[in-house]
Amino acid sequence: MRPVTELVVPHVRLRSITKRFGPTLALDRVDLDIVSGSVHGLVGENGAGKSTLGKVLAGVVMPTSGSIAVCGEPVVFRSPRQALASGIAMISQELSLVPGRTVLDNVYLGVEHTVGPFVSRASMRRSYGALAERTGIIVDPDAFVHSLSVAEQQLVEILRALVRDARLIVFDEPTARLSSNASANLLGVVKDLATSGTTVLLVSHFLQPVLDVCDTVTVLRDGALVRTSPTTGDTVATLLQSMIARTLTQSFPTKTRPPADAPRRLEVCALSQGSTLDNVSLHVRTGEIVAVAGLVGAGRSTLLRSIFGAVTPSAGRVLIDGQDLKLGRPNASIDAGMAFIPESRRDDGLIMMRSVRENTALPHLDRFSVAGVLDQREERMSVRGSIDRTGVRAASVETSVDLLSGGNQQKVMFSRWLAENPRMLIADEPTRGVDPGAKNTIHNIIVELALHGSAVLFVSSDLEEVIGLAHRVLVMREGRLVAEFDGFDTSDLEVARAAFGSDQCRPSPKL
Amino acid sequence: MTDDPRTDPPPSQNDASRAEGVAVSRRRVEPSRGVLSHYGIAFVTAALFVVLAISSRPFFTTMNLINVVDQQSTVLIVGAAATLIIIGGGFDLSSSAVYVTCPLVMFRIENATGNIVLSLAAALLLGAAIGLANGLVATIGKVSSFISTLASSFMIYGLGYIVSKQSILRAKGTGLRTIARTRILGIPSSGWIAVVVVLVFAMVLSFTKFGRHVYAAGGNPQAARLAGVNVTFVRTITFALGGLAAALAGAVSSARSLTAQPSDDFSLVFAVIAAVVVGGTSITGGEGAVWRTVCGAFFIAFLVNGLNLIGVDPVYQRIIQGAVILGAVLIDGRSRRRS
Repeated sequence: MRPVTELVVPHVRLRSITKRFGPTLALDRVDLDIVSGSVHGLVGENGAGKSTLGKVLAGVVMPTSGSIAVCGEPVVFRSPRQALASGIAMISQELSLVPGRTVLDNVYLGVEHTVGPFVSRASMRRSYGALAERTGIIVDPDAFVHSLSVAEQQLVEILRALVRDARLIVFDEPTARLSSNASANLLGVVKDLATSGTTVLLVSHFLQPVLDVCDTVTVLRDGALVRTSPTTGDTVATLLQSMIARTLTQSFPTKTRPPADAPRRLEVCALSQGSTLDNVSLHVRTGEIVAVAGLVGAGRSTLLRSIFGAVTPSAGRVLIDGQDLKLGRPNASIDAGMAFIPESRRDDGLIMMRSVRENTALPHLDRFSVAGVLDQREERMSVRGSIDRTGVRAASVETSVDLLSGGNQQKVMFSRWLAENPRMLIADEPTRGVDPGAKNTIHNIIVELALHGSAVLFVSSDLEEVIGLAHRVLVMREGRLVAEFDGFDTSDLEVARAAFGSDQCRPSPKL
Repeated sequence: MTDDPRTDPPPSQNDASRAEGVAVSRRRVEPSRGVLSHYGIAFVTAALFVVLAISSRPFFTTMNLINVVDQQSTVLIVGAAATLIIIGGGFDLSSSAVYVTCPLVMFRIENATGNIVLSLAAALLLGAAIGLANGLVATIGKVSSFISTLASSFMIYGLGYIVSKQSILRAKGTGLRTIARTRILGIPSSGWIAVVVVLVFAMVLSFTKFGRHVYAAGGNPQAARLAGVNVTFVRTITFALGGLAAALAGAVSSARSLTAQPSDDFSLVFAVIAAVVVGGTSITGGEGAVWRTVCGAFFIAFLVNGLNLIGVDPVYQRIIQGAVILGAVLIDGRSRRRS
């Protein structure tokens, strides 16, 4: 087998690809060969680096080091445009079509057929017809993109890539937002593309379809290559095993089970939010740390945001210490003693151009003010106290937070809520994108808060963190709570199985 | 390819200094923004003042300087409030219209009742009410305030023509004139009113919970909301204060001339925005200060005054003024990107 693959030049050869985002190592010396005309699967946990690898290949992300060769020719991609010049296109989760224009306009955007200075719609229409015939992808060329379903929009993206002579298409989670029927269709299209000679790299969470559609699968874990192998011998279970198995790298503070008679601090009854959150009920007791695990898109963030009031749930109740909370009102939640660490501190957390002091004191200005006038000395003292507890390293409390590292910014987020011991801490990916030192500090803060009687509910994609911190683990899949585990007596594999749904029932495409 | 140690330091030393550089940059985890660039506009304005004072005899006379302050009083009053609105993430183009129309209402009521306090209060109240309406349309109506206040400007100008029956209005009594002509320490009342308004707005922004909320609402409305700030309320109030200030500026200016006439004159709001921008307040919100607008207003005023005194043709003055505003924004944008 080996000599044969050596003889054939792969469509794409990645060697020792490394990518750092600040302190985090997203990709660690990854080698990857993609055979021309194959469907190649790329799987891994949340944050394993699979999307990043896809983006490196498509020129969206520049690798820190490593080399790429297309058909044996070494290349360097500084932009998606350069990747496209080498015949590589990417179709990502967030589609990039112009909604107010027609399908035809979108497909030929930037590569319009022209006669002199004029766009020739007739010529584009002819070529579109030929393309539709060749690929079997049927979308009305005159439909406006905003009137199409997500599945149809994805087909438009594929056509757009093909019009640009893409010979390798990177699909990043193409089926994540599709119904099972639509995703089966799309995977059928993917299979057809490969048959007609287009190479496909399929990045996906959905393991069974990957096994059904792909010829080869690559597993990543923590940014490093685990293995690349033909899918013939693999099952969902063997893939999961490769994705999860790891050596423990972090140490966690000792877990202390909350007293058996601890009252329920948070009670969530039948909370729903559109199609992303479906009738979720849960509770958290005082002193208890509860983790919500699940895949990206399982509705974990929506659950937390609905509880805190960042979004207004469409149905359900939230109670703090038995008192009904006004839904969709962060104000009311804060008054009830809730603290919220959002998933994106940049978008939802910090006022980036303002100082550490202003960001930390923002929800508590009443404490430092008489008739609305601030006592800035008292404010500064309180802020210093808070940032000492979390160990924020900044030149001074007047430093603007956009000059801090990710870890320090996250510590500022925690400092903000430590000024008053929150009764209920809600944290969405509390340690995302922070360095190991800050991670440890944040773990200690969470555990300490629980010891002092706060209830904690957090979401994390880091299974080690989930197992390491949580007294109880809830698992979400497709907007619902699907499993619950005792945090003192569970394993990451068990949680991952529930999250991925090893009984994955997504229909595979007809082959 | 020389091996001369004097031109090419030995590698070991080179490494050492590089290592030291790393250590230094690590110790100073975050470089603080330089004092020079932070207070740049203040230094530049002061420098321009000194240059003019030295080079032009007529500039550095009490008369001329008081004139400059007097002329700037309306820009300062409206500008202080505009700074608040812009920091809060909004934009108010209607201040010119309020500035034109509210005095018309004031004179109508003064002519009818002879009561200065009542007429002044009515003008200010109308200004605040218009501002409140602007704010509500922008926040609850979710219309870009740039557009909504442009639209409301036309309506307010129209109201001015109706109220005045399209004619020039004059004050009947002498009360307004007495107020306008009062001088304390040689400075006319308009100047003092501007000083008080500027100080009040500066203190509201820096020392109150409301001011802090304005910065947060403009800097990142979503994050502010999630930290418990009532963004809608805060922004609406900034617009109401803007309307109030524009009405006050209109009253001050028309009390000085004792006449008011309807017009579609947008020039005040452009002068105000120029002062805010040249001062260095971020047009995208979240950053800025009232003192910056004061500096910006005086910088432009000194510039125009100086150009006049040197005898530069007003046609060229416009071009120079435009170039200065553009330059200020370019420098500001560059320093922001760097950080």
